[in-house]
Amino acid sequence: MIEANTPVLRLVRTFWPLVVLSVGLLIIVVIIDLSGDIILAQTLIEGLVRVVIVAALYLFIGNSGIISFGHIGFMMIGAYATAWQTCCPYTRDMFMPGLPTYLLNNTHHFIPAILLAGLLAAVVALITGYAIMRLSGIAASIGTFALMMVFYSVYLRWSTWTSGASSVIGLPTTTTVWVGYVYAVIAITAAFLYSRSRWGLALRSSRDDEVAARAAGVNVFGQRLLAFVVSAFFCGMAGGLFGHFLGMLTVDSFHLKMTFITLSMLVLGGMQSLTGAVVGVVVLTVVIDVLRRLETGVGDFSIPTSSAEVFVGVVIILILIFRQSGITGNAEVYWPFKPDISAAAAMKRQS
Amino acid sequence: MLLSVENITVHYSRLPALREVSVSVDEGEIVCIVGPNGAGKSTTLLSISGVLNPTSGDITFDGKRINGMSPEAVARAGISQVPEGRHVFTTLNVEENLRIGTSMRDDRGEIEKDFKRVLEIFPVLAERRRQAAGKLSGGEQQMLVIARALLTSPRIMTIDEPSLGLAPNLVDRVYETLLDLRNDRGMTLLIVEQSSERALKAADRMYVLRSGQMQLEGNAADLQDGEKVRQAYFGFEEGVAHEGEVAF
Amino acid sequence: MDWPYIFQTAISALSFGSFYALGALGIGLLFSVLRLINFAHGDFITIGGYALIVPSSAVVATLSIGGFHPALLAICIIVLVTVVALLSYFVVFQHVQNSSPATMMIVSFALGYVLQNVIVMIYEGRPKAVNLFPELTGPIQIADGVSVPLLQLVIIAVTWLLLIALVLFFRRTAAGVQMRAAAEDFRMARMLGVRGKRLIALAFILSGSLAGIMSLLFVTQKGVLMYNMGLSIMLFFFIATVIGGMGSLIGAVVGGYAVGIASVVLSAVLPEDVRPFRDACVFLIVIIILLWRPQGLVLTKAARERV
Repeated sequence: MIEANTPVLRLVRTFWPLVVLSVGLLIIVVIIDLSGDIILAQTLIEGLVRVVIVAALYLFIGNSGIISFGHIGFMMIGAYATAWQTCCPYTRDMFMPGLPTYLLNNTHHFIPAILLAGLLAAVVALITGYAIMRLSGIAASIGTFALMMVFYSVYLRWSTWTSGASSVIGLPTTTTVWVGYVYAVIAITAAFLYSRSRWGLALRSSRDDEVAARAAGVNVFGQRLLAFVVSAFFCGMAGGLFGHFLGMLTVDSFHLKMTFITLSMLVLGGMQSLTGAVVGVVVLTVVIDVLRRLETGVGDFSIPTSSAEVFVGVVIILILIFRQSGITGNAEVYWPFKPDISAAAAMKRQS
Repeated sequence: MLLSVENITVHYSRLPALREVSVSVDEGEIVCIVGPNGAGKSTTLLSISGVLNPTSGDITFDGKRINGMSPEAVARAGISQVPEGRHVFTTLNVEENLRIGTSMRDDRGEIEKDFKRVLEIFPVLAERRRQAAGKLSGGEQQMLVIARALLTSPRIMTIDEPSLGLAPNLVDRVYETLLDLRNDRGMTLLIVEQSSERALKAADRMYVLRSGQMQLEGNAADLQDGEKVRQAYFGFEEGVAHEGEVAF
Repeated sequence: MDWPYIFQTAISALSFGSFYALGALGIGLLFSVLRLINFAHGDFITIGGYALIVPSSAVVATLSIGGFHPALLAICIIVLVTVVALLSYFVVFQHVQNSSPATMMIVSFALGYVLQNVIVMIYEGRPKAVNLFPELTGPIQIADGVSVPLLQLVIIAVTWLLLIALVLFFRRTAAGVQMRAAAEDFRMARMLGVRGKRLIALAFILSGSLAGIMSLLFVTQKGVLMYNMGLSIMLFFFIATVIGGMGSLIGAVVGGYAVGIASVVLSAVLPEDVRPFRDACVFLIVIIILLWRPQGLVLTKAARERV
């Protein structure tokens, strides 16, 4: 039994879910990094980028209760915004001849480029959210969906800036395992701090009872907009990381499939829990990876193509039928020592 | 007993809305449940009609247990409810609204006879047969929902606040109609009201419900002076209630 | 004025509009009684198309049901798609019908995703050429110098026949009136003895048979099968239902025609450099309509209890 009396312990206890998630991811990263398996490392980086996206999705969806189908649009905005700054200095005018002279002639370092990309996504979210966050329930969800479609069709046709239906190739592959890990931890920390803040609390109160929250003086529109903008910022950064992981970008990869997969991860883990967001990413990434390997065949054994997709779809249907609160039951990881009932209850309430 | 509700407890999410409430209605009776806003009157009726599921207790109708049954099954068993707020289908015309009432019946000949009879009781509906129900006045809509419930050929009708939002003379009309239904056709009625004065006049027996618990039960005749009712209704001693606060 | 051109464009716009109207009706029927936006609807149409052929990896497909006598073929496809739609209710949607509309939307996405990938599993992902009802694909001479594709006229005629049939169903039959009542106030309808589950199943049957008919029209027109072809047209049906005001069937038809006519007219009228952004404009209009009148989407009655 450990009594949470010393200041350090108290701090650890306050941030317990964050500590567990960061350390958990760290263990995975260290093991795979030490193993030296390059293919596994690729899967890991992609998974870490998804942690950023899904943590951002949790920040908005989990706290506001509005299911957004639009965040992959912000991811795309961020991805292309970094490409404008970092991609292929020698062939940039070939892929994206419409860029302004400054962008054509200057190449930014990857870190400020990603930061700027996140900011651009956040600004776009601020402008569009100013309209869409006035809606509630399914109307808001459809609004975000339409938003994603607008971004998608604009980027698909805006070929002088995005190369349109063909790919932009030659982004430096700077998203290593450790870069991915750092951003993943930043994203979950932000999501954790946000949901423990008074803004997060206010937004959650509107999720549970919009009318009562308004009556209690919560500016529901403002709170939603704040969460929308912050989560778009992280989605934008994730887009940048994604581009620098693949080394190339296509507009088509930021469409319904990516939307569905990332939402599935959140749903699987538990929409209203940050732990759920991370657990969902880890579980689905592992499952998809295993099924993919089986699809290409292990020894004489192989399963049909697209088994992974079918499996993911079926799992999501089953989860939404039988356990809408996901694997984690919408709860965060508990402080495992000294069964302090009031603290555990408080934590559950906050989740 | 035709309908008996025994010790039901109903929760909205985690909060109890009704605690151990019992009500019984005999064939041919008019029974009223009165109580202030939020007492659990509508909850009681919605539990009877299968919309809400009691967490404990039993509801039996004609000797059969009906809690846990779906709303349509309860309706088909012979309990027709006129819920609060009228609930006419505004985009359907008057006749179509009435037809929905007959959707669970297959005795064609009887349906047509009932249709005629109902239109005799409510001549205004006959006049407006082809009009969209949303265009009717509040009083006409109240007539329509009662007529519609009648067409399900129920053994008991439960009515939630028939006087809500109606002018006093219309309220008289509605109650006259309800009394006629009992006197001429032997209809059993369970009525929920906020004001006990009106209910006392019409009812054979009365219940007073407050804060989810039954406070008082008795024959209407014994409760005529109203003092006990007032006390049960407001939950404090005689004389504390100020004049004018009371809707008697 | 170039009258033949205008006439041909008008017919083309009407036939697109008709097709979208049928699709929007399929979505609207389910939304009105269940608050479900069924993203798998397009995939039901895809299934109808693939049922025509024998599973194989060949580029030019061998017909299976597609080789039957036309009447039998049509019946088989329509029945099959209807059964798929009905199964989707009993196996999947029935169990989430008390969830929020957004949750149901994710479920329908997931179902569509599963169906598409099952098709890839069985038929492989490459497009397949199918020649269905070749006699319908040629042009037909209407007057001197004016000819239009026969299929477009067929689509318009089929749509109007179906619309008339649906109007009669909703006005004249007990089930139709019950469905309108349930669309407005599901709980009240049930309290009057209307069997909720049966009514929703009926809505799935109607929606599924519309999808089956659309499979036939769509495959005849395209001449090609693609595992994700349903999803792309589904997006247009979805737009049409939102524009028409969700939950209103007349709105769905109007929305379908609006989207169909607008897309044909916009392609003809928009200036060259804006034309590529047509789809973006359409989705922007969806957002504007949502902001302008979200009423069509929110629940009209506070509590909607389901079966």
